[in-house]
Order: sequence, then C-alpha cells, then structure tokens
Amino acid sequence: MVERLFGPVFGHRLLFLGLAMAVFFLRLLPLHSQIGSWPGPDLLLCLVICWTLRRPDYLPFWLVALVIFTEDLLMLRPPGLWAAFSVGAVEFLRGRSAMTRELNFGVEWVLVSGVMAAMFLGYRLVLAFALLPQMPFDTTLTHLFVTMLFYPVVVAASILAFGLRKPAMGEVDAKGRRI
Amino acid sequence: MSKARANQPEDFTRPLRRVLVLLVLLVLGAIFMIWRIDSPRVEQFRANLVDKLVPTFGWAMLPVTNAMAMIDDFQSYARLYEQNQQLRDELQQMKAWKEAALQLEQKNARLLDLNKVRLDPRLTHVTGVVLADSGSPFRQSVLLNVGARDGIRDGWATMDGIGLVGRISGVGDRSSRVILLTDSNSRVPVTVQPSGQRGILAGDNSALPPLNFLEDADAVQPGDRVVTSGDGEVFPAGLLVGQVAKDADGRLRVILAADYQRLEFLRVLRSHDIAPITDAGALIAPDPLRPLPDGVQGPQVPENFRPAAQADPATGGDGNG
Repeated sequence: MVERLFGPVFGHRLLFLGLAMAVFFLRLLPLHSQIGSWPGPDLLLCLVICWTLRRPDYLPFWLVALVIFTEDLLMLRPPGLWAAFSVGAVEFLRGRSAMTRELNFGVEWVLVSGVMAAMFLGYRLVLAFALLPQMPFDTTLTHLFVTMLFYPVVVAASILAFGLRKPAMGEVDAKGRRI
Repeated sequence: MSKARANQPEDFTRPLRRVLVLLVLLVLGAIFMIWRIDSPRVEQFRANLVDKLVPTFGWAMLPVTNAMAMIDDFQSYARLYEQNQQLRDELQQMKAWKEAALQLEQKNARLLDLNKVRLDPRLTHVTGVVLADSGSPFRQSVLLNVGARDGIRDGWATMDGIGLVGRISGVGDRSSRVILLTDSNSRVPVTVQPSGQRGILAGDNSALPPLNFLEDADAVQPGDRVVTSGDGEVFPAGLLVGQVAKDADGRLRVILAADYQRLEFLRVLRSHDIAPITDAGALIAPDPLRPLPDGVQGPQVPENFRPAAQADPATGGDGNG
C-alpha cells in the first residue's frame, strides 16, 4: 500500500523506518526480560543487512546511520559506535553487490555471519581500547549466534511479507536505470 | 576491477557517495569520542531524546503491557487447584508470622520510646509509573514517567513497595532513568542486619547481586537482612534491600526484596540531606561529609547525629543514646 502511495523506493524507506520503530517499541516494552536470560537477536542488524543485500537502493547509508544512531541512544549504548560499525558493514556489502547478487542463500548466510562476527569483535576491541566496561564475552557470543540464527527468519519474512527480492539481471527501475 | 564496477548501477555518483560515507563515519566516530571525553553533556542529550521519544510510545505500550499481563493471569487459572493449596499453606505460615509481627511491633514501640528516635519526616516520596524498560540483558534500567518537572534529582533512591530498586541516573523533563541494583554499574553501601557488617552490593547483571568488601564474611549468615547503610551519604540509611543468600561457590549474594519481575509503580525518595549532586551525570558526590545546612526544618536531631544510627534502633544505636 505504501509503495503505491509513494513509489517503491520511498515506500520501502518508510516501511523500513516503521519496522525500526516496531523493533524499538518491542525492546522498550516494560515486560522485563528475566535478568541474566539469553540476549535476544539484534533484529535491526539482520534487517539492515538483509535489505542491503536484496535491494541496496531501498536502504541508503544515511538512513542506516540515522536509525542505528537512534537505537544507540535509546538502548544506552555508547552513542555512534555501533552506528559507525553498521554503516561500515553496509558499505562493505554494498561494494560487493555484484558478487553477492549471484550467491545462493547458504553462501550468503556464511558471508553475513562473517560480517556480523567481525562487527561484534571490532566493537568489543574498540570498547576495550576506549577502556569502557563491557559485557562478558560469552554473552556477546550468545548474542552473536542468536543474531546469526535469526538472519534466515528475517530474510524469509522480508521476502514473504514485503516482497523484497534480488532484482533480476537487466531489470530496470522506473527511470529506466539498471538496478 | 573498473569493468566490474562499470556494471553497477549509478556509478556516476560513486566518488561523491564515498566521500559522504566517510564523512558520516567520521561524524559517528567523533560523537563516540566526544561521549567518551565529555559524557555528561552527551548523556543529557540522550536523556532529552528519550524524554521526547519514549512517552510518545505510551499510548501503544499500555495496551500491549496489559495484554501481556492478562495472558499471565490467564495462565495462572490453569494452576488454580495447586495455587489454592499453596495459599492455604502460606496462610498457615502467615498466621504464625502475624503473631510474631504483633510481638515485634510492641517491642519496637518500646525500643523507639527508649531511644527517642523519630523517623525523618523529610523522607517523602514521589511515585512514578514505569514507562519503559529500555535495557537489554546487559543494561538493567527502567524509565519512570516523573522527571525534573516533578522535582526529581540525580542520585535519589528508588523503591517499590518493599525494597530498594535502584537510583536515579539521568533526569529528563518528563522522564527519569533508574539504574537497577542488578546493573553492573550499580554499587550500594549496605549493612547486613543482625551482625552489623558493612559491605558493598555490586550489581553484576545477574538476578542476585554479590555482596563485596565485607569485613568478616563468616559473621554473615544466609537469611540475614540487608539494608542500606547510608555510608558516603549516597542513600538514606535503613532502606530494606533484601536477604543474604549463599551461591554454589560459597559467595554471598543478596536476594532482592523488591519484586523485579513486576516493576510497575516506583517510589522515588526525596532525600534532601544526601550529598547534593551538582554535575549532570556525576553520581559520586564531590564532598560526601558536608554538614546539614543551618535552619533546615526537620526533627530534633541529636548532637552527634549519624544517618546510619537511625537505621535500626535495636542494633545501630551506637552513636546516639
């Protein structure tokens, strides 16, 4: 519906913003996840990577920076750091879109998992260099693995619910440019 | 390489994009550095942003929260018989406790009379509703719907009906954040009750925070009461924190008295006589042993008044007699 109103690109950007708000909302609900329980998956990261690999034109880097920076502020993380890592990862994947376009899902999953692991490790390294307190290493690992496991779920949901698929070879957008 | 790139869309905007991406990365990195160097100001900005954003979720949060509570209640119907039995057992126990409480009340009244202790009438409170649980397994904090508008200040103690929950850290205009005792940044000076041992309750992101720096850990038994000690004038003395427990490693931990599963309404204790915190974000007071200002309205304070001494007249009456 949003696509029909605003055109596919802008509509999907709005949709992404809406999904991000929904994720924030769920995280902020005062339902009190048990202390010391398993950390949930980083759904927003899955969403950002999935959309970048499917349709990079729907998700400009500034939108990623804005949304993740807001998440940093809302979720009490050091502001800006995770946003910088997310933008870096998105740009890394976007720079390889010619390669990732032909990958089947298994290989894509491995690639994405690698990128996520690099992000988590890099984040921890920077926190360590900045002498900031950080969560125990095993919790980070669990967080990372749960996020990796949820990646296919997010991809499936994006394909089924939002019709997000990789563009076919030679497909053109509304202005006749190749995508 | 250049051929491969030529296949990609929009390659005429590529150099400009790259510069913009680098710029954004630099800005984000700079924000992180500024936060690291001058965290109070950025934290104030964060508090203001949360203040603006989170209450706008309020209309949607209420129904979802209530629905979840209803599901919880509905699940409890399934165990009606079992619960009934449990309640009967508890009622039996409570009758015994009631008797004990009555006796204790009389004893307490006598002791209070002997000591001429008056509880501080300046310890009033503001009650707030928990707006959001903007935390993760790594950060234990909740947001309250009272803020600077209601006179909330950094550093004030927060309780639910029974026990200490945490302290205010970060005040926006309409909201304030409570760092829970379980957060890994939380340190609270406490006294273990019958033995009078003092220690620090240090949050470590587990449900049962450990008790550190006890002088004589052997004097502390599982089941002992833990109350705030008022040391360092961080908190008023004598607020109930919980009970001592021993974990599998033999380490002393505290079972918190506050019901962390259901934090709905929290009391923020207005404690004017704790050391004032002037710097935004700084929670260690600059001069902890500042005397009370002259002319403060309050109860008759004995000569050598120490806040810790009013905690429990039965055991803490060493300073005033």
